[in-house]
Amino acid sequence: MASQQPLPNSQPPMDVYGGDEVSALVLDAGYCHTRAGFAGEDVPKSVLPSFYGSLKSTNTDSTTASYRDIFGDECLIPRPDFEIKNYMSRSESVVEDWDAATKMWEHMLIKRLQPEKETPPSNNGLNDPAEDGEGNVAMDDVENQERPLAENPLLMTEAPWNSGKAREKAIEIVMENWGCPAFWMSRTPVCAAFAAGKASALVIDVGGANTSVTAIHDGLVLKRSIQKSPIGGLWLSSQIRTMWANSDPRVDIVPSYMVENKTPVDAGAPAQARLRKFPFEFTPSFRHYEEERLLTEFKESVVEVWRGPGRYSNPGNEELVKSQPGRVFEMPDGANQMWREQRYRIAEGMWDEAAALPTPDAEVKIQTIPELIKAALSNVDVDLRPNLLANVVVTGGTSLLNGFNDRLNNELMAMYPGMKIKLHAAGLTTERRFGAWIGGSILASLGTFHQMWISRKEYEENGAGIVEKRCK
Amino acid sequence: MASHDVRDMLNLPSEGAGHRPAKKQKTSAPRPNLKGLAREVQSLGGDNPIAIVPEISTFKKRRFGSRKPTARWEMRSFQNSARGDCSLHLRHWRKQTDGRRSRASSQPQQDGNTPGDVGMGTQSESEKLDDSGFAKFNVQVDVPQYSEDQYNSNLVSNDWTKHETDYLIELARTYDLRWPLIWDRYEYTPHLSASTADGEGVDVTDPNTAVVPAPHVRNLEDLKRRYYEVAAKMMAVQKPVQYMTQAEFALHEVMANFDPDSETRRKKFALNALSRSPDEAREEEHLLIEVRRIVARQEKLNQERRELYNRLDYPHTEQDISTFKSSAGLQTLLQNMMNIDKSKKRKSLMDANGMNTPASAHPSGGPPGSTPVSESRRESIAASIGGHRDSIGGGERPERPSKKGASQPERKKLSEQEEQIYGVAHYDRLPSGPTFRYERINKILTTKSHAQHQRITNTLTELDIPTRLNMPTRPVVEEMEKLLNAINILLDIRKINDKVDAEIKVEQAKKAERERASVAQAQAQTKSEDTDSSREDKKSDQTVTNGAGAAANDEVSGHPHERTNREGTSTNGATAEAMQIDGAGESSLVKQETGDDKAARPGSSGAHKRSASDLSSVSDNSAKRQKK
Repeated sequence: MASQQPLPNSQPPMDVYGGDEVSALVLDAGYCHTRAGFAGEDVPKSVLPSFYGSLKSTNTDSTTASYRDIFGDECLIPRPDFEIKNYMSRSESVVEDWDAATKMWEHMLIKRLQPEKETPPSNNGLNDPAEDGEGNVAMDDVENQERPLAENPLLMTEAPWNSGKAREKAIEIVMENWGCPAFWMSRTPVCAAFAAGKASALVIDVGGANTSVTAIHDGLVLKRSIQKSPIGGLWLSSQIRTMWANSDPRVDIVPSYMVENKTPVDAGAPAQARLRKFPFEFTPSFRHYEEERLLTEFKESVVEVWRGPGRYSNPGNEELVKSQPGRVFEMPDGANQMWREQRYRIAEGMWDEAAALPTPDAEVKIQTIPELIKAALSNVDVDLRPNLLANVVVTGGTSLLNGFNDRLNNELMAMYPGMKIKLHAAGLTTERRFGAWIGGSILASLGTFHQMWISRKEYEENGAGIVEKRCK
Repeated sequence: MASHDVRDMLNLPSEGAGHRPAKKQKTSAPRPNLKGLAREVQSLGGDNPIAIVPEISTFKKRRFGSRKPTARWEMRSFQNSARGDCSLHLRHWRKQTDGRRSRASSQPQQDGNTPGDVGMGTQSESEKLDDSGFAKFNVQVDVPQYSEDQYNSNLVSNDWTKHETDYLIELARTYDLRWPLIWDRYEYTPHLSASTADGEGVDVTDPNTAVVPAPHVRNLEDLKRRYYEVAAKMMAVQKPVQYMTQAEFALHEVMANFDPDSETRRKKFALNALSRSPDEAREEEHLLIEVRRIVARQEKLNQERRELYNRLDYPHTEQDISTFKSSAGLQTLLQNMMNIDKSKKRKSLMDANGMNTPASAHPSGGPPGSTPVSESRRESIAASIGGHRDSIGGGERPERPSKKGASQPERKKLSEQEEQIYGVAHYDRLPSGPTFRYERINKILTTKSHAQHQRITNTLTELDIPTRLNMPTRPVVEEMEKLLNAINILLDIRKINDKVDAEIKVEQAKKAERERASVAQAQAQTKSEDTDSSREDKKSDQTVTNGAGAAANDEVSGHPHERTNREGTSTNGATAEAMQIDGAGESSLVKQETGDDKAARPGSSGAHKRSASDLSSVSDNSAKRQKK
């Protein structure tokens, strides 16, 4: 009978559940993907590539060209005069193009997360005697867009090296354009640590464009420990490109959109496929984007990290791998090949600088992951290091590479032999990919977090500078 | 029936008996309700009901019957008092309560038409808003505060400007004294002159814009030293050291004695430890294991030793503990153990585990019915569980004896009868240390001379009483003392008696000599007046002897009564002197003895026997009492 009794709801059971949801939204922008969703959920509702399409439409007099931005991966299809752009900066993973960022975020937060708003009867066109709906529709948009997020506090994540100006710009957009009642800005590694249930951790975030190592103490970033390096998913792709370009029968990258049909061929045999004919030229950015999708598939299914101990280049390792069964990868055009020892070489550059294949943009000094960790820890107080090493949080989509955690563990053991080292890497793919978003979701749904929000009134009183004062 | 038997054996109430008939009724009850095929199938089972027979289910009805109206939820605004501004009114879903229903009906309208002012809220609305339950988790650290004057008088430092100190304190407040963060975010840029940064202070966020005059690099220890210095000094300013409470003083001491050098050294050491090579780490691990083994062995050895000591210290409980049951016994035992404890210098070992301190054992006058051993255990457990828990023991448990072993006043006053039942006795003065009761008897005996001692033992053997008592209970000992006193007196009297006897003999011998002489004289002088004067002579003779107080023995047997009477009075006088302390019965006994004295000396043992039987009857009584 006791189970049928309704739980007393006048007071939430504080000791059990610390959540108190206020329908907050969480936005996590990265170079490859932008994630948005409701706080308190375990996966973002909306995950879109940060790449957006820009469609050029030439006016009739063909002197001026206007561009229309298209958001969403379902829209990134072969079209004429179609550029693929990204609103983030590749080297920093921070917002570069604020106009596009605003549009992108609006698209995600309002179009994808909010229900369709009913048009007021005065404006829905049914009551209009005349056919002159143009002006009214525009007015309608303005009205609807005025305060679209007035009931949702918004938590946004940012890279730990984000500049103060960028943060101020972000709060301006949120407060002025969308009218959010409250706003908070949190750093990605902090959120990732929260997602792993840690307040203090060494966060190793291996993302698409960058890899960063950051020490978190009591939910705050230790600024001096922040280390980043461009070895991420895109860097791995460039390694694959180099390898394919240099391999004996050169491997051509043919993205799937180009292939009309294919016939199966033996391994190593040249592809027999009919390519699709398009009446227009493709922009290089679109082609690059499509190639990247193919490379992503290759990374997911073939590339593996040498688990150690020791480096892959150590004598004997390659022979061992050659004796093992490899993996077959079939290109969209049907060409397929067995990958044995090569698949280990691609990711080896993340750990061993000498093993990295030369890439076109080689002028950038690539720091390996062990170097990043070492540098980050050396900038942290000695007393914290043991605790940080016992709470290493691994997050980011590229960390899902096969054998990544084993290698990382081996490297750490070799670097800090006497220490207790424990890796915390989420088992679920989504949790690893959306670690920062999930942490933000947890944070924004906590009852104790209500006191942290920057309220609209505070923003109005103090201006955009308040984000710098409050979000440490 | 098996369960019934078990219940019987365990003396449990046989509730199964009540249940079983009810169950049978249950199974038989639904049978007549069945119809058609179901009944046929049911009847196949006989007495045992068949499970597959469909029963008339009433769940649909029941489900609708127990349905309650669904709970109503409402979107309710709330505020968080932990926020500085309290202007942010967020909204969450809450179950509607009756009191709020009326207001809730008006709420949607308001929210619907002006979604924008959720953040503001009207003044009257905010009064009614409930506070977030999480507001109480907002805690802040106390950082020292000082005025300009206080800084100038107490905190001036060569190394630190006031501005930088302010900055440090502010950082400490912002980051809640999390030192790694404070050090991490410490980006102080000394301002050039006081005039440039007047109101806001230094803009820390963008050091690139300002002209940076080589910022002072401070490490974590510098920051800590300055902060603790300021904090300790301000603490002392606000409350002089001598008035601080214990906790405050400890804090003050810690902060005032902060040693950055040792911290630096420690960190250096930690750094070295972190950067060990694998070999070194392995070696150290080996050493650590070795150390752990040694320590474990040491501990085991210590444990064994402690056990041994405890065994040596403990009184053997398998001994007869009846001696400790009375208050005096306990007292003496306690005192004994205190003395032993004091004499030993192994306090540390004893204190190592508080359970075994013998000092906690055996309080005086324990509660009724509990043996000393269990009492001590309870006492020690209570002591080990936590400090002074006087409230638990209440009036029943006496205080632990203080160090000197002086018995505490009894909490509960025992009535006369209870005292008797529990064998409580009061003494004016107790001898120090434990004594055995039979020692008291021995003392009486040993103080006497050897000859006398011999005589007493002889007397006791005559009475068939052993010199050492088998059962020296209190009443027995008391009676024994009385008996010994009586024997003493008896022996004294005998001595006097013997002396007097001897004198009498001497006098009689003299008289006989004289008589013989006078008779010879008279025979020689006058033979004529023989018969006449002989009677007179005899009379005069008699008067002479009477005057001497002696009685003729052999020849003069004419007036035995008179003589014995006289003798009796004289001895009585002596006895009265000796027996002033004694009871009347005792004196009569002695009289009797003296009466019989001469006539039947060997028979005197008979008289003694009587008195002995008297005594033994008394001691029998006491023995019986003790048995009870």
